[in-house]
Amino acid sequence: MSALIAIRGLRKAYVMGDETVHALAGVDLDFQQGEFVAILGPSGSGKSTLMHILGFMDTPTEGSIVFDGQEVAKIEPDLRAWYRSNRVGFVFQSFNLLPRLTVLENVALPMLYRENSDPVANEAAATIALERVGMSHRLDHRPNQLSGGERQRVAIARAIVGSPSIIFADEPTGNLDVKNIDRILDLLGSLIKEGITVVLVTHDLAVAEKAHRVISMRAGLVQEDRTR
Amino acid sequence: MKLFDRIRPAILNGLRELQANKIRSLLSMSGIILGVASLVAMVTVVQGMVGNFRQFVDAMGGIEKITVTREQLPKEQEHLAELSEGITMRDVERIRKTVSLVDNISPEARVGSERLIVEGRETSTYVTGVTADYLPVAKRWVDPGFGRFISDLDVLNMNDVIVLGSAVVPELFGANVDPVGKVIKIRGRRFTVIGILNNIEGSGMQIRSANSRSSGGSWRWRNSGALIPVSTAQAKFIGNDRLSGLGLRIGDAELLRDAVEQTERTILAGHKGLRDFAITTNEQVLEDFRKTEAAFKLSLGGVAGISLFVGGIGIMNVMLASINERIREIGVRKAVGARGSDLFLQFLSEAAVISVIGGLIGLVVSMGIVALMNYILMQALPTGAVATLDWLIMVQGLAFSVVVGLVAGVYPALRAASLDPIEALRHE
Repeated sequence: MSALIAIRGLRKAYVMGDETVHALAGVDLDFQQGEFVAILGPSGSGKSTLMHILGFMDTPTEGSIVFDGQEVAKIEPDLRAWYRSNRVGFVFQSFNLLPRLTVLENVALPMLYRENSDPVANEAAATIALERVGMSHRLDHRPNQLSGGERQRVAIARAIVGSPSIIFADEPTGNLDVKNIDRILDLLGSLIKEGITVVLVTHDLAVAEKAHRVISMRAGLVQEDRTR
Repeated sequence: MKLFDRIRPAILNGLRELQANKIRSLLSMSGIILGVASLVAMVTVVQGMVGNFRQFVDAMGGIEKITVTREQLPKEQEHLAELSEGITMRDVERIRKTVSLVDNISPEARVGSERLIVEGRETSTYVTGVTADYLPVAKRWVDPGFGRFISDLDVLNMNDVIVLGSAVVPELFGANVDPVGKVIKIRGRRFTVIGILNNIEGSGMQIRSANSRSSGGSWRWRNSGALIPVSTAQAKFIGNDRLSGLGLRIGDAELLRDAVEQTERTILAGHKGLRDFAITTNEQVLEDFRKTEAAFKLSLGGVAGISLFVGGIGIMNVMLASINERIREIGVRKAVGARGSDLFLQFLSEAAVISVIGGLIGLVVSMGIVALMNYILMQALPTGAVATLDWLIMVQGLAFSVVVGLVAGVYPALRAASLDPIEALRHE
């Protein structure tokens, strides 16, 4: 079975003033469908850069990315947007829900930017996604009326609403209390049963230990890749 | 259709943003509101004033009128006074044959102020001999039910018929009497009333009835006087074949100068070179009219342009502020799949929503301004300009505001569209 994502020789360099920073210095990795992976590393290790590139928010300076059999390392911005709305979901540390929109509208947001977007179908999909995360009782609330744990569940619903192949969760528990941390991590872990690859990006070893595979990064390179 | 599907949520979003920031939105709209209000109100009031001025020029015979009057011979020709025949019907024939620019020629023979007598009642008014061409040249008519005008046959037969100005009728016959068919005596001669000229003040066509203060004022002279066939006037009152003048109407006011020159040459040739006549036009009035109109248009354009420019800056300012506040939102939208063009459309639509709502409020304000201007003008001027709002001007005003909103929204929308999603998401 071929990997969902296969990356080879991935490099990313930034020019900051006179200095060139190598955020990624040659990374080779494979991600399988339905994997629960944690990318662990201190800040500056390149884990966020890797997530942004794999999440189609950024492009590599060098190297190859094969996503679902397609070479995607150097594609046009509009095609990257298409991948973001159709194949990828994001969960952020600070939730990033839009304050003016209701819970239901926030979750339906990714559907808005798809071709043939239809308001009724979008709402139906958002309702199902909110049921999946146990938030269907708060459809008409605004984000500021919810607790942190609830907001993150809504954010997860937004990430899964479009049935993506892969979800990137960037320090998803960084703003949560202990009780909610386990709940959110369990929820994310349960998504692999639906064939979704879940990638946790964290600097917290305890969080990373929840995943089935931990990739440790340092100075733009993969230091350790172990499966439990 | 597809584009509309993308714009519709953007418009709804724009309305939501407006609602969330009511005060700020209203402030940002104020430029557009004032711009549209002043544009629509100014255009309306100036149109009203120009229209009123046109009526005034029309009352003077219009800009297409040329007047030929009898004149003393100049000094160098005084010794030829014996040869002068004055203006006659022969001039009318010559002009008709040679000056094709002239549509109508109205020969006029002034009898002077005469006493009109009817069974014990009498009044004094000006009596003038004319032909059927008087109506098109003077831009007058006889309303249906008020008899008829002097015909060619009346002129040919030197009929003793008379057409009265509407102001003369009540003085001679009192109210509620139909004078058509009645007989009037002038210098002992019996004239049959055949018609009444249209009443200018009451017609509602030339002067709007809202100008109540003008009644009995500057327009009154147009309703007095009495007209008889020119041949009757010459044969039975004046005693010779001379006319007091000619009124000429040309088809195209742009060709006024050509028509004047041709007319002058024709008369001069017929008069054996004697300058016993003068030609005058309303050209000076026309010139003033054009200058006034141009000045109004220029100042109008300036005021509207500046206020709409300021309105555009207001919208651009608030859009840039709004985008600065919503950088994270832009990042989130991009992260979940929005393209640059989606965000461009979203923010452009927001600018359009602000400008449309501002424009609509501006239209409401303009109605108030026009009402106030009308009130002031009617107090200040006896023939004050009365302006009415034209839906076409309102549509144009609204269109202007939308264009300004869209132009002002392009730069902020481009900025939103080109934001890097990663940077935007990191923004605090």
